Amino acid sequence: MQYNFKKITTVPTAKDFIDVVLSRTQRQTPTVVHRGYAITRIRQFYMRKVKYTQTSWNEKLSKILEDFPRVDDIHPFYSDLLNVLYDKDHYKLALGQLNTAKNIIDKIAKDYVKLLKYGDSLYRCKQLKRAALGRMCTIMKKHAASLAYLEQVRQHMSRLPSIDPNTRTILVCGYPNVGKSSFMNKVTRADVEVQPYAFTTKSIYVGHTDYKYLRWQVLDTPGILDRPLEERNTIEMQSITAMAHLRAVVLYIVDASEQCGYTIKQQADLFHSIKPLFANKPLVIAVNKVDVRKLEDLKPEDAALIAGMRAAVRGPAALTLGEEEELPCMSTLSEEGVMEVKRVCCDKLLAARVEQKLASRRAGEVLNRLHVAQPKPRDNISRPAVIPHSVAINKAKKASGELKIVTEKMLQEENGGAGVYNADLRKNYLLDNDDWKYDIMPEIYNGKNVADFIDPEIDERLAELEREEEELEAKFQEDKAAAEMEMEPDLDDEEKELLGQVRARRAKLVSEHRRKKSVANNVPTMRRDRTSDPERRLTTTRMKESLGAMGIDTTLAVARARSASAVREGRKRSRSLAGNGGDEDVDAMDADGEEKPRVHSSKSRSVSVARRTSKSKGAGLRDESEKMRAQKLADKAQRKMNKRAKTGEADRVIITKMPKHLFSGKRGNGKTDRR
Amino acid sequence: MPQNEHIELFQKRYGRRLDYYEKKRKKEAREPHKRSAVAKKLIGLKAKLYAKKRHSEKITMKKTIQQHSERTNKHKVEEEAAPGAIPAYLLDREQTSRAKVLSNTIKQKRKEKAGKWEVPLPKVRPIAEDEMFRVMRSGKRQKKSWKRMITKATFVGPGFTRKPPKYERFIRPSGLRFTKAHITHPELKCTFQLDILGVKKNPNGPMYSSLGVLTKGTVIEVNVSELGLVTPGGKVVWGKYAQITNNPENDGCVNGVLLV
Repeated sequence: MQYNFKKITTVPTAKDFIDVVLSRTQRQTPTVVHRGYAITRIRQFYMRKVKYTQTSWNEKLSKILEDFPRVDDIHPFYSDLLNVLYDKDHYKLALGQLNTAKNIIDKIAKDYVKLLKYGDSLYRCKQLKRAALGRMCTIMKKHAASLAYLEQVRQHMSRLPSIDPNTRTILVCGYPNVGKSSFMNKVTRADVEVQPYAFTTKSIYVGHTDYKYLRWQVLDTPGILDRPLEERNTIEMQSITAMAHLRAVVLYIVDASEQCGYTIKQQADLFHSIKPLFANKPLVIAVNKVDVRKLEDLKPEDAALIAGMRAAVRGPAALTLGEEEELPCMSTLSEEGVMEVKRVCCDKLLAARVEQKLASRRAGEVLNRLHVAQPKPRDNISRPAVIPHSVAINKAKKASGELKIVTEKMLQEENGGAGVYNADLRKNYLLDNDDWKYDIMPEIYNGKNVADFIDPEIDERLAELEREEEELEAKFQEDKAAAEMEMEPDLDDEEKELLGQVRARRAKLVSEHRRKKSVANNVPTMRRDRTSDPERRLTTTRMKESLGAMGIDTTLAVARARSASAVREGRKRSRSLAGNGGDEDVDAMDADGEEKPRVHSSKSRSVSVARRTSKSKGAGLRDESEKMRAQKLADKAQRKMNKRAKTGEADRVIITKMPKHLFSGKRGNGKTDRR
Repeated sequence: MPQNEHIELFQKRYGRRLDYYEKKRKKEAREPHKRSAVAKKLIGLKAKLYAKKRHSEKITMKKTIQQHSERTNKHKVEEEAAPGAIPAYLLDREQTSRAKVLSNTIKQKRKEKAGKWEVPLPKVRPIAEDEMFRVMRSGKRQKKSWKRMITKATFVGPGFTRKPPKYERFIRPSGLRFTKAHITHPELKCTFQLDILGVKKNPNGPMYSSLGVLTKGTVIEVNVSELGLVTPGGKVVWGKYAQITNNPENDGCVNGVLLV
């Protein structure tokens, strides 16, 4: 389990807390209510406010209660540390007060919602809501002190070093100023402050180091003095806590030079007084500052004291690792022996942990399943591993320096270094014949050999082809010029003129035709009206001229054209010419196949203007009779419908009585056809 | 210094940045301008709250300034005569005259006669019946309207049993029933939460007294046994009268003053 106290959310001060909750209520609940509303609506409005405030209090307080770790649930090291730093009772009390506050707020909300149910006016409901929120805020105001305390605790806790109580740990301890932090700085990258006065380190520091490809945690503790537990201050208590609860190797540092201000005697006394804390833990005593005073230079009584400490380490309580118990000496100044101390500590702890694991019940379960087979020797013949003869020779040669392996890297260095040297990949090809190594291999593309398609002389051939083409071109031009020269015209001047005329006329006709066509929108047939003749060229006068020039009598044609010209509408009634009878016209009319105009029998009555009828008789059908038939069929189909008085297709009908789009939703200004 | 206070560690090792103090001074100088900008921008409730906060801040500021200046001021030490102090030559005279005693006793008697109920709230707003009651419709067709529901807070004794609902004329809703009151002792100036024993008198009429309606000005009897009050005779008092000083139906609680 990871201990990370950095994620606790901030605990606001009582004032901020109240502001936050109340403004949240104001923002998140409706704000407009009127006296004229139904009383249930007013009640509901205020009940919502009360309930919402209660839930936000509840949410926030529960979050706080949930975030802060419970002292009884966490690792004993942390629980003791919290006790030392923040006073467990105070801590529990503060959290307990918040819990009660939460419950009281819930109860208040319940009570006032109940009262609101009997509210009979807006005023009363509002007063009740006001009272409810006021009481909630008052309760929180009373707990301002515990909120402030918890915020301070949170800030401090978030800065605690993240110590994992279960991992491999080296715990450095000793008198103040003996060089604990210097050791830490040498071994890890923690960058702890080192100063030449006591209690530079006021709290536990953590650093990490590597040994045997494992991650080790190094804890630097504040120095401790030799005095009874009750008199120890908070700083010392932190180290005591760490020593008491962490399963780590304890590195007790002794200052041999006595520069720290404490004699070796005092240091030995402290060691013996805190020895009970080291029970069941691997323990290493290291002598520091040997650059100032060597171990050999010590006074005999001091040497005896150190020996006494070592004897205590070797005692029955502590675990022993090998009989030749060494006394590691180091100097954190000259870095001499520091790594040796680290090595000793780590080895001891590893051994102890393995032993512990073996002793545990879990290890037994695993061991039961493991079996390492050791084959029994069946006879006395020794069967060493088989090493081929050549390999053995090579090995011997290599050992003697006779055989040297030239690596690619060496080659590269010899031949100009990286980027210049190009490694020869082909030399290691495994082929039947070594001569083949540098053979050129065909390159195949789309199933064809690329080499087959390569012509080395392609440029020359292209140049040749081009030259040939130019020659041919020149020749062709020459031939053409000669032919023209041969086709000298044999026309005389008159003929030439006529030809010119013919050509001009043809060109004119074509252009005329094109013009007309474009005027009539490219309709293939020409329309006989003014659109096709905007310049009024198709006149009888012109017809007379042009036909007359060809020697044709045009009187009849002109007369016919005149008679066929359109009658202007709205012409006043005038004397009909019908009575005169167009005898001359008869032939022309017959030729056209037109009906004879009716002639009235009575001469006293002028012929009425006939209704204009369309010339098409069938109106889309083949002829009149077909049309009649169709009409009859339609009538017949309608007859039955009419008899039964059913709605026919001609009847007025409203398909949708109330179209959805006209009747759904509210009707605002100018919303009559789309809603 | 704990391990993870990087900023402090940095400052300890390398000091502050070169323009730190200048920046700080400028920031402080800018502060009033910023504050006034905020004050101008705020509207509504936030503006009110802010103004109130600033007001109180300014008051404390002025007071502290005054205190500091007082320290330098020179004051003549003045000793005021304690109230009731008398010169030495009058020390052995008898203090109260008989006449005073007499007049006091007369006054006391008159007071008692004038009204036993000399109460903190002598006048209350009369409450109309239709404010006090809500008409409830009953009957199969909901056309009978002789039932009334009381819309004010009420006190109902612990042994109360409802009449059969068919005949119950006055309904006192259980949501509006109160059994405890917050009573202030006027001399001790502290408030206790006490049990209500009964309604002595409701100023709006005897019917309301009998119904146990708690409105502003109602005199109630409360259980003061926890306060340990003693009669002149030496007996422990356990019931005492108190007058309600708030509108319980609006506030959701009953507040009152002990009548002593």
